[in-house]
Amino acid sequence: MLSFKVMYCQCICLCILQFSMSMEDYDYLFKIVLIGNAGVGKTCLVRRFTQGLFPPGQGATIGVDFMIKTVEIKGEKVKLQIWDTAGQERFRSITQSYYRSANALILTYDITCEDSFRCLPEWLREIEQYANNQVVTILVGNKIDLAEKREVVRQRAEDFAQSQSMLYLETSAKESDNVEKLFLDLACELIREAKQNKLDNNDTAPMPGEGKAISYLSCCSVV
Amino acid sequence: IIIFKLLFIVYRNFPFKFFDTLSHVRKRNMSFFGVCGCCGALRPRYKRLVDNIFPEDPEDGLVKANMEKLTFYALSAPEKLDRIGAYLSERLSRDVARHRYGYVCIAMEALDQLLMACHCQSINLFVESFLKMVRKLLESDKPSLQILGTNSFVKFANIEEDTPSYHRSYDFFVSRFSEMCHSSYEDPDIRTKIRMAGIKGLQGVVRKTVNDELQANIWDPQHMDKIVPSLLFNLQSGERTESRSPSPLQATEKEKESPVELTERCFRELLGRAAYGNIKNAVTPVLMHLDNHSLWEGKTFAVRCFKIIMYSIQSQHSHLVIQQLLGHLDANSKNSATVRAGIVEVLLEAAAIAASGSVGPTVLEVFNTLLRQLRLSVDYELTGCYDGSTNIGTKIIKAHEERQLQEAVIRTIGSFANTLPTYQRSEVMLFIMGKIPVPGVHPALSSKDSGPEGTRMIQVMLLKSLVQVTAGFDTTNMLTALPTSFLEPLLSFSLTEDPEIRLLVLQILLSLIDRHDNAPKFLNVSIISDISVLKLKVDKCSRQDNLFMKKHGQQLYRHIYLGCKEESSGQQHYEALFALLGLLSMELANEEVVVDLIRLALALQDLALSTDEALPVFNRCAIHAVAAAYLNLICQLTTVPAFCQHIHEVIELRQKETPYLLPEDVFIENPKLPSSLEKVEGEVLFLQSKITEVLGGSGYNTDRLATPYVPQYTDEDRLSKRKSIGETISLQGEVESRNSPEKEEEITFETLKNAIVDSVGMEEQERERRRQVVEKFQKAPFEEIAAHCGARATLLQSKLNQIFEITIRPPPSPSGTISSGYGQTQSRSVPIYEMKFPDLCVY
Repeated sequence: MLSFKVMYCQCICLCILQFSMSMEDYDYLFKIVLIGNAGVGKTCLVRRFTQGLFPPGQGATIGVDFMIKTVEIKGEKVKLQIWDTAGQERFRSITQSYYRSANALILTYDITCEDSFRCLPEWLREIEQYANNQVVTILVGNKIDLAEKREVVRQRAEDFAQSQSMLYLETSAKESDNVEKLFLDLACELIREAKQNKLDNNDTAPMPGEGKAISYLSCCSVV
Repeated sequence: IIIFKLLFIVYRNFPFKFFDTLSHVRKRNMSFFGVCGCCGALRPRYKRLVDNIFPEDPEDGLVKANMEKLTFYALSAPEKLDRIGAYLSERLSRDVARHRYGYVCIAMEALDQLLMACHCQSINLFVESFLKMVRKLLESDKPSLQILGTNSFVKFANIEEDTPSYHRSYDFFVSRFSEMCHSSYEDPDIRTKIRMAGIKGLQGVVRKTVNDELQANIWDPQHMDKIVPSLLFNLQSGERTESRSPSPLQATEKEKESPVELTERCFRELLGRAAYGNIKNAVTPVLMHLDNHSLWEGKTFAVRCFKIIMYSIQSQHSHLVIQQLLGHLDANSKNSATVRAGIVEVLLEAAAIAASGSVGPTVLEVFNTLLRQLRLSVDYELTGCYDGSTNIGTKIIKAHEERQLQEAVIRTIGSFANTLPTYQRSEVMLFIMGKIPVPGVHPALSSKDSGPEGTRMIQVMLLKSLVQVTAGFDTTNMLTALPTSFLEPLLSFSLTEDPEIRLLVLQILLSLIDRHDNAPKFLNVSIISDISVLKLKVDKCSRQDNLFMKKHGQQLYRHIYLGCKEESSGQQHYEALFALLGLLSMELANEEVVVDLIRLALALQDLALSTDEALPVFNRCAIHAVAAAYLNLICQLTTVPAFCQHIHEVIELRQKETPYLLPEDVFIENPKLPSSLEKVEGEVLFLQSKITEVLGGSGYNTDRLATPYVPQYTDEDRLSKRKSIGETISLQGEVESRNSPEKEEEITFETLKNAIVDSVGMEEQERERRRQVVEKFQKAPFEEIAAHCGARATLLQSKLNQIFEITIRPPPSPSGTISSGYGQTQSRSVPIYEMKFPDLCVY
């Protein structure tokens, strides 16, 4: 009787697995969180990428904002869940709670604002403290359209990014420079990591974006 | 269809090693059906049923009849539920992607109905696809879809499932709903709707997960850090807008629940479900939020939050919240005074709400924290900077803010103390007493750099706290409630030069002795011809009270006497002293005490007359007035007619000739006093002989009454100050006076009687003392014991030294007390308050 029950349960699980696989409209799901000082253009980057527009006079984000975009990379559908956090200090406690589950962090600063660059070590400390240690971090210098007001030289930022083993990219949300590239590069990197993880762990550990399917199997083994 | 069904049955019953192959077969079947999707007859029945519920035109809404068919089918074949769900959800995501929102709504409606119709056991099969659809809706950026999804989720959350589910993850929902709570959509109406949807969603998640042990724990910080700030944000932002525009338009819309109310309800529900271990995770984000949004300064919101918290959580957990607040106060001790004052204010409110449960098991820890804050604040005020030199001059300390903080801390101490039972309260009193620095006595304990001014301020602050703690103190047994170790240091403060401190001590004494709320009736010194108007409440004096007076009566009298003698005493002091006399005779008087009090009053009169003391005229008049008012009171209490008559005569005469000797003329704003007080004699004075005579007739102890009262001095006087050379002389005088007849007399019958009555108490005391000594040797660090033993070896030497040094400075500590040869004082060598909390005493 018991064995029958086990079988039955496994059967159901498999059914669900199949259906969920067939029904899912993506191959990978990644959570990306944008962080950085207030006013560096995090929201504009996200808007540019997800909606293709540059909102002039964008107000300060309250708490967290959420966007979703599905892209196709080498034939694989990748769903990007983008959490855009408020840069203001007063929302720090809620934004911190979003780092934890992130697969990737986009650490943004404003190339025309020295201060926002100087705060980066502080942000890195936050990442260290709150984010998952396998998180992919990319440093982004935004607002390159304002080249004449530039305060942080490219070389300096590149050196800094290298010293912290981060990727580095300069973007302009206004001119849409490098925005697409930023997210697509990040998605590629995440896929690469996910695949590597898959190989490394021989399918045992859940990896970013595929936690779902694996948890069914593991639940079966529990039953 | 038949093939498929057969296959499925086979599939179900096959041993599971064939699963792989079978699933392949099925997959092929599926694709086969997919290809033939156009030919309806070949589609599985559930798909046809699902398709049929969608009308041609989405405007028409759900096809009711077909929906019933689907429901019936789902109920009769629950094993198909998962596939129905999956197919519906597939359709829904397709419709979302194609922006066919009408169909989306219909699909959602159908799902809801199916969910409601199905039995609990079978829901599990269905929930997965349901949640997937809700997620799909929440992912869209259309507010209407988000709200639609949330509503469905809330419906689902209200279903009570009886079977646990292993594989649901609510992470996304928590994140998304929290995000919705912060929505900043342009249109304010829609924004409110989204935010409310977010709150409802969070409420749903909490309901769904809180009792399900298999779920990821909703109380984990990673969830709480999202949920709690989101709720607080709405609570706070709603408050802001409401106060800004309470327009009549809004009032009419009040019927709909406002987001603030909804938030509050949700917050209360969340807290109400918190178990012991979860309180911390729920409260920490609140503290963080208040920090980040700098809401402590405003106070009102912080207080409101914690009121909600205190009223919502289970009452047995309230002390945890208090502890967290205290911890937060400590963590903020370098923050600006307004922040600290805000936290203290919240503590005050919270303590009042939690009442008896607020302090929890660590009573002294609570008070220790508060006292430490008080002390820090005094230090900050005096030094003008926070000692951490890291934040260089960024914060300027404002003295008045620190003052406010100190007041708030003192009030909070009082409010905590009010929640304690009597025995704990006296423990707390002892504890605070042990913290009060006595100048020169505990040099290690007095504050480091602030010097004498700091010490004084701390004394004042701690005494003020004591006033708060003792307010409303009510004990049946004075003796246990006020042990020697408390009373003695307290009384020693009553002899300092500082009038403020003396007044505080008097206030403390008043509230300690007052057990029937008589104190307010004595607030004004006045001659009342009939004291029945005061409606004094008197209980019969118990045996313990008699013992107490036997033990401490003499001390109290002496302190009243010396208190009157202080030049710096003002009107308030005399009022308090009068009240103290009055209360003593109300609360603790037996015949003997009455006699002593009358003697004391007469001695006060003598004091006012004597020319040795260079007292100012005001003080003399005041003393006369106090004596007169008091004798007027006591004569009516004794109800001896002849006594009353004498007092009346004197008072009447005074009213005619020397009104400045009566309270009505002395204790007013600008008393008209004569420039000097030379000839006060004869009929305007109360006569000892006369009083003795009349009272003797009523059976009072005339021998005793005839002896004039002379205050006894003990070593503790020297603790307070007395630094002049004249002191040594008066000291010798005291020693003599002690050996004089007065003392002799004490040792006769009275003392023997006392000894018999007290012997039990003495024995207990002795035992207690032994226990403490043993404890000390067991617990104290080696150095301390060594020092103690060393001290004992040099006791004789030090005694001699101290006697010589008495004129230069007071003795180092009561433990080494010297007392010119009185074994009695030595026996209480180490006051209890020092031994009980050795580690806590050290700052």
